Amino acid sequence: MAIIEMRDVNKWFGSLHVLKDINLDVQKGEVVVVIGPSGSGKSTLIRTINALEPIQKGKIVVDGIDISNPRNIDAVRKEVGMVFQSFNLFPHMTVLENITLAPRIVRKWPREKAEQIAMELLERVDIADQAEKYPAQLSGGQQQRVAIARALAMQPKIMLFDEPTSALDPEMVGEVLDAMKELARSGMTMLVVTHEMGFAREVADRVIFMDMGEIIEEGEPDQVFSNPQHERTQAFLARILH
Amino acid sequence: MRVLKALAWSVVALAALAVGYVVFFNGIEAALRWYFTVTNFTASKVPNFAHNLRLGAEVTIKLTVISSITGLILGLFAGIARLSKNPLFRWPAQFYVWVIRGTPLLVQILFAYNALPFLLEPLWKYLQPLGVPPIQDVLTPYWAAFIALSVNVGAYNAEVIRAGIQAIAKGQWEAAMSLGMRPFQVMRYVIVPQAIKIVVPPLVNNVIALLKDSSLASVITLLELVHQGQRMISITFRPVEVYIAVAAIYLILTTVLTFFTDWLEREMAKRGAAT
Repeated sequence: MAIIEMRDVNKWFGSLHVLKDINLDVQKGEVVVVIGPSGSGKSTLIRTINALEPIQKGKIVVDGIDISNPRNIDAVRKEVGMVFQSFNLFPHMTVLENITLAPRIVRKWPREKAEQIAMELLERVDIADQAEKYPAQLSGGQQQRVAIARALAMQPKIMLFDEPTSALDPEMVGEVLDAMKELARSGMTMLVVTHEMGFAREVADRVIFMDMGEIIEEGEPDQVFSNPQHERTQAFLARILH
Repeated sequence: MRVLKALAWSVVALAALAVGYVVFFNGIEAALRWYFTVTNFTASKVPNFAHNLRLGAEVTIKLTVISSITGLILGLFAGIARLSKNPLFRWPAQFYVWVIRGTPLLVQILFAYNALPFLLEPLWKYLQPLGVPPIQDVLTPYWAAFIALSVNVGAYNAEVIRAGIQAIAKGQWEAAMSLGMRPFQVMRYVIVPQAIKIVVPPLVNNVIALLKDSSLASVITLLELVHQGQRMISITFRPVEVYIAVAAIYLILTTVLTFFTDWLEREMAKRGAAT
C-alpha cells in the first residue's frame, strides 16, 4: 500500500484552479522529485500533503490516515516533516532549542532525550558545533541543514522539501543537497520540489513534471530528462537544461 | 534548584522594588518640602502640603501600575481575538476596540463612576445577600478609575498586539504547524516571544500615556496628583507654584518609566540575537 495516496485532488485559490484532478501514489522509501515552471502548482501539491493547504475536492491518505478529516491533521503532521525555501527557523531560539521544541511539547519527550536526539541529528547534518548559536549567526546553508534536522527530530515517516535550495547562495547548495542525499539513502520517503536537475537524476526514483495544476508526465529520471514524451515537458526542459 | 533560584531572585527583586519605592517617594516629599519652603509657603503648613502631594503621586503611580497590568491582559486577549477566524471571538474584540478608541477617556471615567453603579444594581441584588458590600462601596473613585483606565488602555494595547503578531512572518506559523504544534502552542512558543520584542516599545508608550491620562480621574474626586494639587490651590491661591510642582512630579515619573523601559529593551535585545 502506498504511504501517500492522492485521489482526484482539486484545489482552487478563489477562482484560480491550482490543482486539477491530481492522482499520485508514493511508495514507502520512494524519492519523488517534482519539477515544473513557477505557478504550476508543484509547491501547492506538496503543501496539501501535510494540510498546510486545504483541498476542496478529492482525497489524501497519508500512512493510512485520511486528512480530509480535520481531526486527523495533527496526527498526519507528526508523521510528515517539511523543509521550506526560506528555512523558517525560529529566530529567538538557539539551534538546539529550534530542534528540541516540537519533540518536547508535541511528542512530550523529556529534555534530555530531545537534546540527545537533536545532537545526533546535528552530527548527521554536520553542524553539531553550531548547537548553541542563533539562526541569524549561521549561513544560509547551515540554516537549511538545521531546518532539516528540526523536521527529522519529530521522527517523521515522510519528508517534504519545498525548493530547499532556491534561497541559497550557489556555493551553499551542495552541502544541503548532500544532507538530502544522505537522507534518501537512509530510506526516507521524500517528496522534493526543486530545480536541481543533478539531484533529481542522482537520487530520484521518479520525476513528476507539472504544469498549470496538472501532472503532465512522470517516470524515471533518465526517461523524463532524456526522452520526454510530452511537448510541454520538452519545452520546459529545453529552457532549464542549459 | 532552578525553581528555588528563580524564587529567591523574585524575592530579592521585590524587596529591592519595595525599598526603591519608599526611598523614591520619601525623596519626592523631601524635595517638595524644600521647594515649598523656598517659595515662601506658610512654614507650618509646608510638611502637610508636601505630604499630600506625595500621597497624590502615590495614588497616580499605583493606579497606573495596576491598570497597566490589567490593560495588558485585556489587550492580549482582545488583540489575539481580533485575529481569530471565529467571528464569536473576533467581533466582540472588534466592537470593544472600536467603542473605546472612538470615545473620550473622560466620558469613560465618568461612565464608570456615575453610570456603572446603575447598570450593576440588578446584579448586586443577588450578590449582596452573599456578603458582597454595597455597590457604592465597591465602585469608589479609585476602583471606578481603575476600571475605566484598564479598559481604555486595553483597547489601545489590543491594536499594538494585533499588529505585533501580524508582523511575524507567515512562515513561522507554517513551520511550527508542520511540526505538529497546535495553534495555542504556536502562539505560546513561537509567535508571542517574537512579537513581544516588537510590541514592548509601543506598549510602554501606552503606559506613559496612561500615567498622564490618569489625571482625568480627578473629575470623579479621586485624590490623585492633580486633585491634591487643586485642593492645595484652593487653600493657598497659588496656582503657579503648585501646578509647576505637579507637572514636575509627572515629568519625574515619566522619566523614570522611560529609563526603566529603555533598560528593558536593551536586556531583551541582548537575549536572542536577532529577529
